Amino acid sequence: MEPGRARNALSQLRKGTLEYCVLALLGEGQRYGFELVRTLSEADGLMVSEGTIYPLLSRLRRDLLVETSWQESESGPPRRYYHLTDAGRRALADFSDEWTKFRDSVDALLQHKEKGDAGEH
Amino acid sequence: MQVNTDPLVEDYMRRLEAAAWALPDYRREELLAEIRAHLDEALRQVPAGDEAAVRSVLARLGSPEEIVAAAADPMPDGQFVPYPVPAPAPETNGLAIASLLFGIFWLGGIGSLAALILGYRARREIRRSAGFQRGSSLATIGIVLGWIGVALLVMAAVAAFFLLAASSTTTGTPTPVASVVPVPSG
Repeated sequence: MEPGRARNALSQLRKGTLEYCVLALLGEGQRYGFELVRTLSEADGLMVSEGTIYPLLSRLRRDLLVETSWQESESGPPRRYYHLTDAGRRALADFSDEWTKFRDSVDALLQHKEKGDAGEH
Repeated sequence: MQVNTDPLVEDYMRRLEAAAWALPDYRREELLAEIRAHLDEALRQVPAGDEAAVRSVLARLGSPEEIVAAAADPMPDGQFVPYPVPAPAPETNGLAIASLLFGIFWLGGIGSLAALILGYRARREIRRSAGFQRGSSLATIGIVLGWIGVALLVMAAVAAFFLLAASSTTTGTPTPVASVVPVPSG
């Protein structure tokens, strides 16, 4: 497979799963934008431009999956914290179930193919 | 509140603001505020005057155009999902109903004319409402009835004309009026 094709597929997958990565991080507890964005951008293979996560957060807030609150910080101006709503928690749980199935199926098929390749040689 | 006066940062913010012009005001404000807060936070960890570090912070953020594109392209597969505002149930256009009623009640041709005028206006309004009004078929029925009414009116007029013409030729009198005016005798 040409690398461009694989890259495109992965980029689509990243785009589709990124918001659930955000929800999953917030599922562990509230975070402020910078903290959340840095954690995501440092995750191996996600390869996100940090700035693009803010529009995503804005959409999640609009869709009532997360909400925000301002809290004082020890070092500097107040920070805007994001936390999951009940709807966000449900969306995350739904996705997690589906994702596990999806991942297992893809893994199984990919491994199947590898075995097939090995058998031919 | 720490104010960033780094020219690279200010230039970046200006480009972001320019790129975000098409976003709704409150989303643009929100985006600019969040990016500004992000930069303040990131640059607090950077030694003052370290230009390479500032550039690296901006590079990690991504280009302003890329960020705005992410704000404008809501869903992963590019399909636009509008704000979850419950769509108002489409209501029937009042002119369409009126057109249908006038079409039914001929009213000696006046109803038909009204049905036509109202029917065409209704269809235009419904078309412009982009799905928020219905009743296009009612208006169409009104228009059809209106044209039938007009056609009947024309046919009646033509028929009346021929009848009058025929009656004038059979009686041989120049005007049909003569036949109703009693000829004085004696």
